[in-house]
Amino acid sequence: MSLLLIAMILVLLIPLYDAWKNDNIWQKMLAFASISTKTAILILFISVLRDDWAIGIVGAIVLTVGNAALMLLANIIKRMNET
Amino acid sequence: MNESYIYAIAALLPLTSIMLVLQVNPYSALVIRGILGAVAALLYAVLGAPDVALTEALVGTMLAITLYAVAVRSSMVMRLGVLVKEGEDGSRGELMTALRSIVNKRQMRLELVSYVDKEELHTALQDKDIHGTCLREGESYSIVMRLQRLYEMIQTELVSSSAILTYLENSDSQEKH
Repeated sequence: MSLLLIAMILVLLIPLYDAWKNDNIWQKMLAFASISTKTAILILFISVLRDDWAIGIVGAIVLTVGNAALMLLANIIKRMNET
Repeated sequence: MNESYIYAIAALLPLTSIMLVLQVNPYSALVIRGILGAVAALLYAVLGAPDVALTEALVGTMLAITLYAVAVRSSMVMRLGVLVKEGEDGSRGELMTALRSIVNKRQMRLELVSYVDKEELHTALQDKDIHGTCLREGESYSIVMRLQRLYEMIQTELVSSSAILTYLENSDSQEKH
């Protein structure tokens, strides 16, 4: 199971590299969406692994809040380009 | 705890924070701050502090990013007052492109505020509603800047011959911006 988690963390590095190297703001937003979903899935996976409900509910909330934050930020950046 | 993956997750946090510090554009930095928040929430949850992780996700990521995005959007801007009827024939476009490239170099953006007549334009400049005005005088354009820093910035970098730049000396300078 530990090996599977290490593999998930390595996959997490791919959008991290993209957010670092790509200068386009929308590509960065895509990387942010990818990372916030991946970290939430990792939290949920670990919660199942440890059979800990407290971590599990935090994972679910992080998954939801990540999406909401992304939508708010995307709206503001979109309006910046309009004016 | 002999779970080796915790070290791998813990290593992600300094990695993302270095990425955040190296950003130049404020909007990019905000997106990276969101990534840092997500990684921090993951680490806190894994280390057994779900309450801290929840706070980081709600306050650190969502609230802080939204508030900072609004603050950066409204503060890093140069508001230039123009007349509506002068923009119709499109002769101003070249000058505006030059100005825009100057302010974009400093991660700011140019916002054109349209007014109907000159009286309104001057009142807005006096009321500190806008940072400067751009009016046509014959063949050339006259740009008046209210802020000294912006005036110096445009003076050194604007090479266009069709614009005359002046700095408006403020009579009541008790209020500093």
